[in-house]
Amino acid sequence: MPKLSVLSEIQRKSMQMFPCVEHDDTPWTPMAKKLSESKVALVTSAGLHLRTDKPFNHSGDSSFRVIPRSSKAGDILQSHASIGFDHTGIYRDLNVTFPIDRLQELVDQNKIGSLSDNYYSFMGALRDVTEVIEKTGPEVAKRLKDEGVDVVLLTPT
Amino acid sequence: MSTTGIVLIEEHAQRVKPPRMLAVPFFFGNALGEADDAEYQHKVLQHTFDLLDRNEGPVLESLPDDMIPDILMQGSETTNESQEKGLNAADELTALRAYYEQWTKAHKDRTSVGLSKIPQRRFRAIVRFFEDYINGEASDMKERPAEFTVPQFIRYCVDDIKAFYYEARMVQRPDGADREIHEWFWSESTMGGLLMALAQRMRDDEDAQVQAIAYGIAR
Repeated sequence: MPKLSVLSEIQRKSMQMFPCVEHDDTPWTPMAKKLSESKVALVTSAGLHLRTDKPFNHSGDSSFRVIPRSSKAGDILQSHASIGFDHTGIYRDLNVTFPIDRLQELVDQNKIGSLSDNYYSFMGALRDVTEVIEKTGPEVAKRLKDEGVDVVLLTPT
Repeated sequence: MSTTGIVLIEEHAQRVKPPRMLAVPFFFGNALGEADDAEYQHKVLQHTFDLLDRNEGPVLESLPDDMIPDILMQGSETTNESQEKGLNAADELTALRAYYEQWTKAHKDRTSVGLSKIPQRRFRAIVRFFEDYINGEASDMKERPAEFTVPQFIRYCVDDIKAFYYEARMVQRPDGADREIHEWFWSESTMGGLLMALAQRMRDDEDAQVQAIAYGIAR
């Protein structure tokens, strides 16, 4: 987003009042190996899922969906609750939010070692993330660790 | 595992303090900047992965780009004139079908239509469903999965209708800017007017869940 200072007062207050979970410190995991030797996974809060999956509901859905890396853009839909964003970009090109093709290109260029077999998607704009912190987030983290992932790329929408 | 990511609202990252985040100047829906611009998307990704080289965190850096994107237009910003012209949403939708089918053909069947599970050739039934709902009739569709409430199903139908219209319009106006598509949909299309009426009907409902869905349909 542009700096909040350039937005309208209504937009600025809406963003400032959003109930983020605030932390005093930061968990820090240094890189164990070069990116060119690392396995990378993609996790998004864009509310994406397979066409065959149950869509996210719009009542604070804390669940996640698995998106196999082998999925094509045509296999993936978005059921995000928010209307406050422009969908035309993702209609045109999934990569503008969920860069599946760009990541594969980076592997082909030997800039990334490899990609995980599965990517993961949550609903964004959640006003209560307790269940994500306590349950679904750790579950996805375990799946990523079990798959030997070294680096996670996080994207919003 | 090490993490790095993109954040759209830098002030939120300052509060949450994730390990590594790249703040980008784009509006919601465009985390990597520009659709169909692989080179620019790679630039954003390069900056995001570069954060992995930092020795301590939290790392919150900004994409070195002064781009100020166009602001999304909302339906309430305009007056829809289609009702005065006596146009019919179902006929308008049918007229766009050939363009929509061109979109799917050109994009190897990739379409953002599909949440409602209603085939696009049955979308005229969705229009009747919306019109009956607006008129206060006990409206439903036999295709609605039992796991979805009627209001939630309406939202999925609306998302499908919007995707259908936008994808059809992008065939009609392949060089049209995103803002022009929004202006056409909300100001000129009969469907835009119908969705505003649908949202108003839901806002007026006594059920808080219905009111919440209205916010996601049009505002």
